[in-house]
Amino acid sequence: MQPRPYIRSRWFEDIPIGEFHVFGTHTFSELEIIEFGEKYAPEVHHTDPVAARDTIHHGIIASGWHINAIWMRLMVDYMERFAQGVQDGRRNGAGVGIKDLVWHQPVRPGHTLTFTYEIIEKSDRVVRNKWGMIKSRNEAFNQYNELVMSFTIDILAELNPQNLSGVETEPHV
Amino acid sequence: MPRFWHDLQIGERFTTENRILSEAAILEFAKEFDPQPYHLDRAAARESIFGDLCASGWQVSATVMCLVNQALHSQEVVVVEIAAVPSMRWKAPVFADDSLSAEIELTDLGSSSAPDQPIAVEARVEAYNQHKAVVVTLQIRLLIRQAEGAPEYAA
Repeated sequence: MQPRPYIRSRWFEDIPIGEFHVFGTHTFSELEIIEFGEKYAPEVHHTDPVAARDTIHHGIIASGWHINAIWMRLMVDYMERFAQGVQDGRRNGAGVGIKDLVWHQPVRPGHTLTFTYEIIEKSDRVVRNKWGMIKSRNEAFNQYNELVMSFTIDILAELNPQNLSGVETEPHV
Repeated sequence: MPRFWHDLQIGERFTTENRILSEAAILEFAKEFDPQPYHLDRAAARESIFGDLCASGWQVSATVMCLVNQALHSQEVVVVEIAAVPSMRWKAPVFADDSLSAEIELTDLGSSSAPDQPIAVEARVEAYNQHKAVVVTLQIRLLIRQAEGAPEYAA
């Protein structure tokens, strides 16, 4: 069998259930927490380090959506790294929906998160005669090895056209 | 008057304000958090599954939830925080200068386990563009304070 180093250029059929990746780390600065908060989550516990002392987490914390935006950035960087040199390097990636997104622990300035994903399911659905659906479990851990965020996501992955003749398909995602 | 958990009713609805996602805002978010061609480059986006330059789904979700928080706050609902998102689906792309707004409906009020603990309430959020097409739906879990004087967090 040929080695398949380019994660993002693989067909649906070539992505194995159980595949596990540690795909990035990120340290959250106070400044970026505040900048994101001012645009998308302007509550004082995301924007004002002094006023945040009297709130639920006794200090400034990153907005949950900021954590997920960083998840996205690290995922894109990881995929790009592994798709380099492939002309048609994008056979999977577009997200359709997520489930069970939970922010378990606060992320404070200076905290470093490590992000992982595991392929947990491949559905039999065929979307627009072109795409299969893959589910992954995504987790982020802080520097104390505590789980701080988790969710599952369904992404589209292109089916190998050789396998597509005559299958029934769904018109819409 | 602040509205605590006892003041909420199942089926109660709230409507958010509108917010426009400009091309500049889409590009700014994409450069920092989601640098994929369909969020960064109009020509490449036209060749993609989305058909034109569109916002990152995470930018859409963050924007909608910002509107949701503002709407609840303006109705004086005492939200401690958003604890979880049991499900979320992106239904349609959000293009440059689309205007987003959302409807919120309380679907499960939960129950009180201890008088001083905030209570998890579930709500359904449907967000629309200016053509009233649904762009994202979310089921969210909000922590709501029970009463005046109850601490807003566990000690």
